[in-house]
Amino acid sequence: MTAESPAVRRISSLRSRAGSTQFLHRPNLRRLRPVALPIATAAAFLAVWQITVMSLRVPAVILPTPLQIAAEVFRALPILLVQAVPTTLDSLLAFSLAAVLGIGLAVVITYSPLLRDTLYPNLVVFQLIPKIALAPLFVVWLGISSESRVAFAAFVSFFPIVISAAVGFANTEQATLRLCRSLTASEWQSFVAVRFPFALPAIFSGLKIAMTMAIIGVIIGEFISAKAGLGFYILYAGGRMETSLIFAALFVLCVIGIALFGAVAFAEELVRRSYGRR
Amino acid sequence: MRVAESETYVEVAQVSKVYRSGGADAVEAVSSVSFGVPRGQFVAILGPSGCGKSTLLMMVGGLEPVTAGTICIGGTPMTGPRTSIGVMFQDPTLLPWKSAIDNVLFPLRVLKRPLDAYRDSARRLLDRVGLDGFERKKPHELSGGMRQRVAICRTLVYDPELLLMDEPFSALDAITRDEMNELLLDLWQQYTKTALFVTHSIREAVFLADRVLVMTRRPATIVEDLAIPFPRPRPMTIGETPAFNEICGHLRQRIEESHYREHGRPAGSAPVVHEHAR
Repeated sequence: MTAESPAVRRISSLRSRAGSTQFLHRPNLRRLRPVALPIATAAAFLAVWQITVMSLRVPAVILPTPLQIAAEVFRALPILLVQAVPTTLDSLLAFSLAAVLGIGLAVVITYSPLLRDTLYPNLVVFQLIPKIALAPLFVVWLGISSESRVAFAAFVSFFPIVISAAVGFANTEQATLRLCRSLTASEWQSFVAVRFPFALPAIFSGLKIAMTMAIIGVIIGEFISAKAGLGFYILYAGGRMETSLIFAALFVLCVIGIALFGAVAFAEELVRRSYGRR
Repeated sequence: MRVAESETYVEVAQVSKVYRSGGADAVEAVSSVSFGVPRGQFVAILGPSGCGKSTLLMMVGGLEPVTAGTICIGGTPMTGPRTSIGVMFQDPTLLPWKSAIDNVLFPLRVLKRPLDAYRDSARRLLDRVGLDGFERKKPHELSGGMRQRVAICRTLVYDPELLLMDEPFSALDAITRDEMNELLLDLWQQYTKTALFVTHSIREAVFLADRVLVMTRRPATIVEDLAIPFPRPRPMTIGETPAFNEICGHLRQRIEESHYREHGRPAGSAPVVHEHAR
């Protein structure tokens, strides 16, 4: 048969239809909505805060106004930035440790039915323990150094990664794995080519939770033992009743948290572009 | 039959498959099946859904171990998947993040062959199935029929000698399915592979195959081995000839007989006699 078989002709007509698909252009206002709406809400909240505190004459030591906090951030920025360095570095280190160990354990669980059956139920149960309460143990075991805080933060942020990565690896399309087997692919080849990319969305949802957990872990650690860091500084400011300074430190902490979370979300977006389903 | 006196390429001897779930409940899916396929023959395995015909096909492909019996392909017993076999599944099992051409090249990546050497032949295959201009499209941008066309190209690109197809078109609508059958015959004629095609559609089996094996419900056994006498190339219109309908009627009766033998004839129903059956 020649290339002009009926089947081919039918496909050609389908193709021209696909090419002429037109997308409606929506007004700009609608596109801004997802950004504008939350920003407007936050601004309104700050305005209500400012007005309420001013009109009720709440003392600054109880609740400073947003403008007072802004001034404090500006004034104390040099010392706040110095305090932010150990907090940021410890969080990043804890997160990286948790990511490597978490994904590694998920791989082991996926490929060893024995370890899956022995470990996985315990992991799920352990997930339910309020792990924050275990922070003093890490001080007992590892002292008051940075290692103890990193270890604790890694421990806290490790669980969401294991669980989500294990679920992601398990939910890979079985038919596609069977295709790999029919092509005589090794387990490693199927993992790299199929299982890992299929699990990426699940892994990233675990990583995003883990990033916020790592920061929480480091701050808790700093509350307990540190001589530097934003957690330490918040306690220090609290002891001196410098409420504006507490809020200023919290503000810097928020910025760090958003930046670190944003970095993970950005990495997810990059990965999605090359491994996305669409 | 086209290749009646050539060597036997696929030899299935006394093959059984028993699934044991929990010990006591053993389900016999395939019961002592034997048949041979000469090189270059197109054989359809026809039977009702869930009769174990897919299990049989997966055993031929080395993707399921046999419980008893032997399967030899090209004179050597099967111990696992081989690169001389290409398997097509009911799902196209394309990788959603890869373009059509990269999906076609996927087997060569697994087989560690130089991709650049195959890029041209992959493109020619896509042109051949009417997908020129779609090389860069992702699976979600293609219709169901187009995805299955990509899957056909992916199976042919590494030039396997034996094609195993497990109801590859059963998820498609009737019109697309006819198109795909026409295309498949066309390709098969060009590349002359030995082919085993599992289906529950009588008309599909008769249209495609040199020979139809009819299987009963679990445990699957072969109750009929029928040569289809139509010359090739076969136009779609042979489906309207009395001879074609006569063969279909005969096969339908064989399926029903074996079904009733097992389950008893429904009360009050007369034996089904097709006008073309004899």
